This record gives sequence, C-alpha cells and structure tokens, in this order.
Amino acid sequence: MEIQEIEITHRLGLHARACARIVALAQHFRCNVALVCGRRRASASSIVSVMLLAVGMGGLVRVETDGPDESAAMAAMVRLLTQGLGAPTPA
Amino acid sequence: MVSFALHGVGVSSGIAIGRAQLVSHATLEVAHYTIPARQVGAEIERFTLAVKEVQRELEGLHSALTSGDAPGEFGAFLDVHWMILNDATLCETPKKIIAEQHCNAEWALTQQMSVLVEQFEQIEDAYLRERKADVVQVGERVLKRLMGRPGTLPVAKAEEQTILVAHDLSPADVIQFKHHHYGAFLTDLGGVTSHTAIVARSLNVPAVVATHNARQLIRDGELLIVDGGNHVVIVNPDRAVLAEYRLKQDEIDLARQKLKRLRTKPAETLDGVRIELYANIELPDDLAQAVDNGASGIGLFRSEFLFLNRDALPTEDEQFEAYRVVAAGMKGKPVTIRTFDLGADKQAESLEGLSRVAPNPALGLRAVRFCLAEPRLFLTQLRAILRASHYGNVQILIPMLASVSEIDQTLAMIARAKESLREQGVPFNSNVPVGGMIEIPAAVLAMGAFLKKLDFLSIGTNDLIQYTLAVDRADEAVSHLYDPLHPAIVRLLALAIGQAAKAKIPIAVCGEMAGEVLLTRLLLGMGLKHFSMHPAHLLGIKQRVLQSEFAAARPLVERIRRTDEPYKLLALIDRLNA
Repeated sequence: MEIQEIEITHRLGLHARACARIVALAQHFRCNVALVCGRRRASASSIVSVMLLAVGMGGLVRVETDGPDESAAMAAMVRLLTQGLGAPTPA
Repeated sequence: MVSFALHGVGVSSGIAIGRAQLVSHATLEVAHYTIPARQVGAEIERFTLAVKEVQRELEGLHSALTSGDAPGEFGAFLDVHWMILNDATLCETPKKIIAEQHCNAEWALTQQMSVLVEQFEQIEDAYLRERKADVVQVGERVLKRLMGRPGTLPVAKAEEQTILVAHDLSPADVIQFKHHHYGAFLTDLGGVTSHTAIVARSLNVPAVVATHNARQLIRDGELLIVDGGNHVVIVNPDRAVLAEYRLKQDEIDLARQKLKRLRTKPAETLDGVRIELYANIELPDDLAQAVDNGASGIGLFRSEFLFLNRDALPTEDEQFEAYRVVAAGMKGKPVTIRTFDLGADKQAESLEGLSRVAPNPALGLRAVRFCLAEPRLFLTQLRAILRASHYGNVQILIPMLASVSEIDQTLAMIARAKESLREQGVPFNSNVPVGGMIEIPAAVLAMGAFLKKLDFLSIGTNDLIQYTLAVDRADEAVSHLYDPLHPAIVRLLALAIGQAAKAKIPIAVCGEMAGEVLLTRLLLGMGLKHFSMHPAHLLGIKQRVLQSEFAAARPLVERIRRTDEPYKLLALIDRLNA
C-alpha cells in the first residue's frame, strides 16, 4: 500500500468536477484508491463519498492506493490533485 | 372529521371548493406504502429500470451537446450527474432499502437521498455544501421517472374539483399542471410574487401559499374550501359554512359573467382617452384566454417558458412556429415577444448545467446578460422572432437592460440576425420595433439612451420593486417588505412614464401592478396608456378604465408622487379611488 498526503490548493477545494475527475481517473487502475480527510474516508470509486469529504482550499488529503498497480495510480492521483484541478478544461 | 382553518397568503383570489390532492413531486412528498414480499423483486426491477432510463436521458443530453458547440463546462456537469447516478449510494443502496423494508421504490430513494443530503448539510464550506443540489437533482430525475408510471399518484375523481396541496411548486411544475384543471393551489412555501402565484393568477384559480404546514395537516381526499381573497383555507367545513361559501361562489360567478359583456367594448376613459389593454402570455396555448378576454394585443410573451420542462433547447424552427402561431392568431394586433429571461427564479432544466454557482442569481447572469453571453442561443431566438414578424405585428422586447453598451450589443445582434435572414432570402419585417424592459432603477434614472435607441419601453414592476427595495420577491421572510406603493416606486414609475411621454415613446406597464384595479387610476394619472397583464384581469381593469378620468386624476397623482408618508400616500390613493 502507498500513502501520500497532499494539500489542495484550488480555490474551490475538491469541487464537483474535481471529484468527477478523481473518480474517472481511479477507474483506470485495478488497485483500490481511497481518500482520507480528517476522520472521513472515501473510496475513490464513489463520487458522492468523495464529495462528502468536503475538502476545502488548503485542506489535507491522504491518498491511499492498494493493489497491483498502486504506484502508477499514486503517481497519477498526485499529478491530478496537485496540477489537474485548476482550469475547468473540458474532459 | 374535525373542521379547522389554515391561514396563509392568498396570492390569487376567488373561491374553490373541492377535494385535496396531495402532490408527490419533491423528495418531501413521496408516498410511502408497503410492498407484499412477493413483489419486492419487481419493485427493485422498477427502480433499476428508472435508473437506466435516466442514464439514457443524460447520455442523450450529452450527445445532443457534443454534436453542437456547447461549452465544455456544460458537458462536465452532465458527467458529474452521470457519475452520481451510477454511484452505489444512489443506485444500489435504495435496492437494499426496498429489500429490507418492503417499501416502494420512491420511498426508498427519498430516504436514501435525505440521508445523503443530511451528510452534505454538515459540511462547513458553503460552496461544497451546496453540491448537495447535484445529488438532489439526480435523485429527482429518477423520482420523476418512477412517478411517471400510472398508479403511483392518487387519482382524482373527475366530477369533483381537485385542490392541489404541495410543499412547494416550481414554475416548471405549475406549467405541467396547466393541463390538469385544478380548482385551486395550496402550498407550504411561497410568496405573493413567486412564480407559482403568478401562474395561479394567470390560470385564474384561487391560491393560498405560505401556509407552512398544509401538506402535513391535510389528508388526501379531504374537503377543502380555498378562499384566496381572504387568505384562508377551511378543511372539512361543516354544512353551514359550506352553504355560505357556495353562495359566495355563485355571486363571484355572476359578477364574472357580467364582466364578460365588456369583452368587445373599447377601453376608453370617461374623458375619451383610448387605453390599450394587452395580455401577458407564457405559451401559445394562452392565446385563446387572451382573445376571450378582449386583449387588444400581447404586451408580454414570456418566451423563456418554451424552455421549461424539456430536455433539449428549442430549435429555431420550433420557436418560430410558437411565435408565428401567436403573431398570426392576434390578426395584426401587436404581439410583443420578450427574449429569454432565464436565470434567477426561472431555471430551465435543459440549462441546469449552465446554472453555475451564482452567489446572487437575481444580480447575476440572467436575461439579456445571459443571452449576450450565449450569442448562438440569442441569435437563434432573434432569427425565429424575425421570421415570425412576417406573419403578424411582432415587436421584440429585451429584458433587464441597464446600460447603453447592452442596448448597442443587442441592436447589433438583431442587425446580424436580419443580415443572415436577408442572405438566405427569408422574409421578415425589417422595421420590427425593438423595445426594452425598464426593470432596473438605473434604467429609469438614465433613460435618455433608452428613449433615443429604442422604439418602445415596458416597465416590469416586479423586478423594478425587487431591485429598488432590495427585497427578494420569493423570500417569505422579507416578502412583507415588498411594497408596490413605496414612495420610491411611485416616483420611479412617474419619472419613467413622464419621460417617455415627453419623448413620445410608447411605454407600458407589464408587471403585476398593471392588473391591480386599485392602482389603475394611479397609473392613468401618471399618463400611462398601455397596460399589459394576465388575461384574467383584463376585463376587471377595463371596467375600471371605463369609470375613470385620464386627465382629471393628474393633480392628485402629483400630490401622491410628492408624499413621503406611507399612510398619507394610502389615504390619497383611497381618495383617488373613491
């Protein structure tokens, strides 16, 4: 299992479209991806759970990947959370 | 059965006697019933099917979008909705609830939605908390699918009048109810100028809103008397009360019959000034009611209603057909088509992706601002209106104008639409009059440009009051502050009408005030000659005009205009109406 903590710097935090992108990205990997914020924990396969994490700007998210391709998943997730949430570019 | 009375705000007068029908629309209002064990499988199947249908609905919307050139943001929102729909919390958990509790699918879904909404409510960040709206919207789509099946709604007996009792109704709901001929509307929420109220008035049915808990206290099928004029609802009336109300109802009917005789009589004041009484309409179907009530034109065709209750945007041809029917139906009398006034309280479902997070929708991207930001959508509508201008006396009315640059941009768009039609050899009236709504105080205070650049003006009093007094007309907590007779409103109206008269530019009032008999003489005294209102009010106002002087009211209205004290102002208006 890999674990990494990331600060969300987007002005709106993990907004709805960001959550959608997280879920879409997690689907590309076979491993389990989970996000933890404070005492709340969400599977990255459920957009509603990720939305309910309610990570605002400056919030810390712990990403956990667990499974065969956990390293690749972690790298992709970190890239998305640190750089990919900015402009609302069309998918 | 205990007889009791409920008090609310009567937003549409008249009396209706009939049986209550509790409406299941929003999550709050879903019926709960138990399913026999052997039908649990079928109920789960029914739920799965509804989810699949909504899935297809969303996918259909998405492909309709990608074939056009809609903004990527819109598609992204649909993606979010699609994902929420496919989230186990929404599409799997309700199945478990059905299996465990043997309840109907609607109830299972509603319960799960409220669990999720409650979790969202606990989020501190206001922006993220509001994302519960996405979950609710998706859930409601599924609910609508589920409830679209026969047998889930209580069926009304045809021979009795039915009174709709709901927690709240959106304009989109009420439009659907147009075809059901309800005797009255009753809601827990709402205010005098909410769209529900406006539509109830236009349907000419009594309505009492803001009853707080009518939905909980009234049971399906109970006998109700709704007295809109007295703001009261009587549940299970005893025989004496019922007899008295039947008598009142007959009297009202009789008075209405008398008014009908005024239909073809021209509206002229006692001193011989011709007054134009136009109708406000929402859909081409409303035309018949306008003609029946002797409208001398259409003063406001709220074209945004073509947008409500549909999955895709209306095409140019569809719009053209709607406008053409009205233009031709009025046989040469003016037909004023207002371009889309979307935003604020009217959200087209087909555009919900565009309803970005607006911190203050009434002050946000709505009406002409929205149209100028979506030039393709605007151009499509302008072309459709221009094409219809070939078939009748069409005028274009632009809502929410505040500044010269907006007027210039709009006129440039109209010129572009004309150019493209000319190139294609499509016939239209090249001199179609273009007017502007006066509904922002800025427009009254700097009206010079409006008078120079536009052919006519129309005062939307509802928004003018909202923006001048900073009162949200749909917010029950402050709706008592919404005052059409605030001295500031009286002065703005007098100023607008006076300036237009001086410049010889026709000006109308098309807000609620135009249909209020007690204000007719005030407006006449300001010099107003064009009134536009719900067809239901036309004959009552005509009767009033026939009994009023145009010029003689002037000095008294001038005093009213200078009055600061509300009670003095009201006393003077009483004198005017005496």
